[in-house]
Amino acid sequence: MQVTTATSDALQKYLDLTSDQMKLTAENMANVDTPGYRTQGIDFAHEFSQALGTSASTETTVKPSDVGGLTARPDGNNVSMDREGMQLAKTQLEFRAGVSLLRSQFTRVMDAIHADK
Amino acid sequence: MNLFGMMDISASALQAERVRAEVVAANMANAETTRTADGGPYRRQHVVFQTAGGDGFASSLLANSGSFSGSAMSGAEASESGLSSGFGSPAASGGVEVAAVLSDRSAPLERYDPQHPDAGPDGYVAYPDINPLTEMVDLMGATRSYGLNATAVQAEKNMVTSSLEILK
Repeated sequence: MQVTTATSDALQKYLDLTSDQMKLTAENMANVDTPGYRTQGIDFAHEFSQALGTSASTETTVKPSDVGGLTARPDGNNVSMDREGMQLAKTQLEFRAGVSLLRSQFTRVMDAIHADK
Repeated sequence: MNLFGMMDISASALQAERVRAEVVAANMANAETTRTADGGPYRRQHVVFQTAGGDGFASSLLANSGSFSGSAMSGAEASESGLSSGFGSPAASGGVEVAAVLSDRSAPLERYDPQHPDAGPDGYVAYPDINPLTEMVDLMGATRSYGLNATAVQAEKNMVTSSLEILK
């Protein structure tokens, strides 16, 4: 009997990706004062569609790249506190949305198990 | 998905900003110190930050032992060298670490005061060249960065808590 659905597999990858995004945001925030540091980011939509294309068990590593369109300060650092703050809030909400959807998936399976009561 | 690794990154930033604030406090406390254990006036110190773990996020999963290079503190009082107690723990890969605490090598400020016990033969006393405004702005920057990373820790804790709700 299969307990996981296709949706829950996709949600698993979604949660992995949002936590990677969160880690990058944390790294950018930590290096807000480091001279010469460039803001790192990932193309979420692209990475997610790629992850959906592969099978459930493969572990794909995300490659962060420099984010464009940011102005650098005199010491070479181009981290924007506002952008990182927004990214933090957004990613946190995305993660919680993913968790809620995953919970509803499992609740449905549990309802099916308890259906004869 | 390593949720706790994120908290290590933010924790490294909190530690580094705290070291920066402590260095600023030491500078402000010793703004008028004319004699130190090494002789000569107190020299202004500043921290150098660097990203821990080489390639940062893309580097290996093992935490890098980001050991800090020895601090170049000269003549600081024993109470001030509490700064060294924060060093030595490995910083999370992708986080920030204090690369060095450097002493300013610029010339000290000379003031004419022949009555001063530390006056040179020409009657000038060497004072540290510390501008309190520079130090205050640096402290404000350290405080803001500390607050930013503390917010990140809150958000990460929130995420871990919400992921536990799957179990309910």
